[in-house]
Amino acid sequence: MRPRFGHTELPEEQAHALAKAIRLERITLLVTVGTITLVLLVAGSSQAMKAAWIEDSLALLPPLAFLIAARFIRRRPTARRPYGYHRAIGVAHLVSGVALLVMGLYLIVDSGHGLVAGDHPPIGVMVVFGTPIWQGWLMVGVMSVVAVPPIILGRMKLKLAPLLHDKVLYADAQMNKADWMTALATIAGVLGIGMGLWWADGAAAILVSVDIIRDGWNNLRDAVRDLMDSRATTHDGAGPDPLPQDVVNTLLAATWVDEAEARARDLGHVLHIEAFVVPVDGGLPPLAEVTALRERCIGLDWRIQDLVLSVVEELPDELLPQLNGAGPHDE
Amino acid sequence: MDTSSRLRISRRGRLLGLAVAALLLTGCGSSFPADPEGTLDRIEGGELRVGVSHSPPWTDVSAESEPTGVEPRLVRDFAQAHDAELAWEAGGEEQLMTMLDEGRIDMVVGGLTDSSPWTTHAALTTPYAESVGPDGSTSKHVLAVRTGENAFMVALERHALAQELGTVEP
Repeated sequence: MRPRFGHTELPEEQAHALAKAIRLERITLLVTVGTITLVLLVAGSSQAMKAAWIEDSLALLPPLAFLIAARFIRRRPTARRPYGYHRAIGVAHLVSGVALLVMGLYLIVDSGHGLVAGDHPPIGVMVVFGTPIWQGWLMVGVMSVVAVPPIILGRMKLKLAPLLHDKVLYADAQMNKADWMTALATIAGVLGIGMGLWWADGAAAILVSVDIIRDGWNNLRDAVRDLMDSRATTHDGAGPDPLPQDVVNTLLAATWVDEAEARARDLGHVLHIEAFVVPVDGGLPPLAEVTALRERCIGLDWRIQDLVLSVVEELPDELLPQLNGAGPHDE
Repeated sequence: MDTSSRLRISRRGRLLGLAVAALLLTGCGSSFPADPEGTLDRIEGGELRVGVSHSPPWTDVSAESEPTGVEPRLVRDFAQAHDAELAWEAGGEEQLMTMLDEGRIDMVVGGLTDSSPWTTHAALTTPYAESVGPDGSTSKHVLAVRTGENAFMVALERHALAQELGTVEP
């Protein structure tokens, strides 16, 4: 059976990307658990590394949310859930955004507090197989190892996210970025401490936390907007989704259509579109024409399936606020 | 890509290389890790200020003269190896930990274990000896040093570990 999102059957490319994404997220879970174990082993009594494993635990949330949501969205709509289960992705996106934001805030509060209090982080020796080694070298070693998988996994997810229009995957890629950036910051911080700069670790952590907080905030905001049925945005939340405009252009291209407009909300991967057309000279087209036009719109992209096409006397501007120029509040 | 941006990247790459090289060079030197407050440098040929709280057999301040016990002996050896004069400060644990936190002494000995709650005031060394309590549980013994003085801490830890005390009988 072809994989599906609700009653949307996925095209070859998307089906392939989904299988790959699920595999990537499972690997991410395994790698993260491995990382947490490794960090705990060298953490010893050091406070700096304890913070690192709390962050890694937060990094478990986006892949978990993705894998759980991926189970739900396959289900077809039911009488009780007429719009299907697509919103599971929206919920997972919200969870991921919150995880990123909390991680950034934790990092900045924790390091900021240490810097203000003037905490001088102690890093002593650790006995490994009978040999005392400066724990800093162990931390640098472990952090160089744990920084590599998130770089690779994050890049692979960034490639898949636009293909699937998957905002959870996108947020998780940014979680991976946060992971490897904190790992590098820890390396810089530990080396700095080794040089006698007690503030190095805290300063490096604050530098990267600013970036993580920004990513977390952007994802949280985009997730909340989608759940509140805001105008659909691209997978990175950077701008309006071009598909609704494509639908309108397709509608306008029909010879019997005089005016056309649509509103669309992002259900998760797929869009829910309500489109309105005003026929030329107010004449009703043959029903076969209307059906064919709807089919053409649905054929534009796999993400368009749930499309309601209404033939109306004039465009209902209470349903289409963009006609009144009531746009700016969207941003 | 235009030449200017390529130039910029290569210059940044060179800077990064220099920074890493500088870090590595420092790492090869004897002062890595280094002390933010220079404790190890100061005690070489200078004075090592040690707080002692009474906790036999690890420390004993009941004698008229200098403190005795496992830990004062260890500290005396360490001071000798670094050509340092010893200045003992006998007192209660809380008083000594506060002094350590304020940098008025360099370290505290007093039969401390790795489960000591003084981690906000002091840096605890890696365990250098063990003891078995009356209930059969094992305690791992540590020394307390001024937090963040990592060169001093590492030197003391290496010295303590080199004694190979193993399990100390109470």
